[in-house]
Amino acid sequence: MNHDDLRLMRQSYDEKRILLCFNGPFSQGLIEEIGNALRTYLASDAATSSALADVFACYIEITQNIRSYARSRGYDDAAASATVVIGRNDEHRYEILAGNNIEAADAGPLVARIEQLKVMDKTQLKTAYKEQLRREPTPGGGAGLGLIDIARKASAPLSCSLRDIPGDSRQFFSLRVVI
Amino acid sequence: MTNIEIAATQSTPAISADAGAGRLTMRGDSYPENSFAFFAPIIEWAERRLAETGALAVDLYLLYLNTSSVKAMMDLFDLLEAAHRAGRRVSVHWYYDQQNLRVAELAEEFKEDCSFAFEIIAEPTAG
Repeated sequence: MNHDDLRLMRQSYDEKRILLCFNGPFSQGLIEEIGNALRTYLASDAATSSALADVFACYIEITQNIRSYARSRGYDDAAASATVVIGRNDEHRYEILAGNNIEAADAGPLVARIEQLKVMDKTQLKTAYKEQLRREPTPGGGAGLGLIDIARKASAPLSCSLRDIPGDSRQFFSLRVVI
Repeated sequence: MTNIEIAATQSTPAISADAGAGRLTMRGDSYPENSFAFFAPIIEWAERRLAETGALAVDLYLLYLNTSSVKAMMDLFDLLEAAHRAGRRVSVHWYYDQQNLRVAELAEEFKEDCSFAFEIIAEPTAG
């Protein structure tokens, strides 16, 4: 890193209207602390109480999902490292982008799940949410509700991407949510 | 039966379970990593209270719930619903800041699946 690197990062953060960015492994303590900062930033950014609640809720579901996935796969800190960015898009809507490493074998089912959610309208998402609420918890201890909840709070269909990681059998998965 | 008093943390609500009064109160945010473990003793307490005396009033001042806390809360409401159908006296009062519409919507969605007395009460914004 040199001074120009920093200046370019700053320039990019400004251009993309990034409110908050984190890169590294999450602990529950960090999730809470960054969440706290996020609420403060959103309040000073004059977010409505509903937008603030939706962004915060999506941030928590995403980061807790990432953490519980990394634990379920026994990842060390390097493998568990995730990147989360919260900013505003061109239409001034809040957006959350989050990426983490996943096993190649888990990629297909995850993308298929998101494809399913993408084509559901709000009524269908609510039905799916209530059905999932009645199911047994997932092996990871989560309720399996996170993605549906995120899709319900989003104003546009979720989008995701998968990329190979050079020299690694895992893939880099990223999710974009527009509130 | 014992009482339960749990202080709030950043990610867990303050909880007060008063066996004598038959009242369970929860206040604050709830997004612990393991909601099932956190709420298990509360649900167990409610189960015993209903078995022993058959009445329970639940007062909620909950704000944000992560999805696993929503699931734990549904387990509690299912318990109340079963008790209500068995002729027990149960109720939920969920208080929310009138500016915080997401809390009201969450409470409404729970209420849809409950036939016992479930009131959602708007309070004026503090300050």
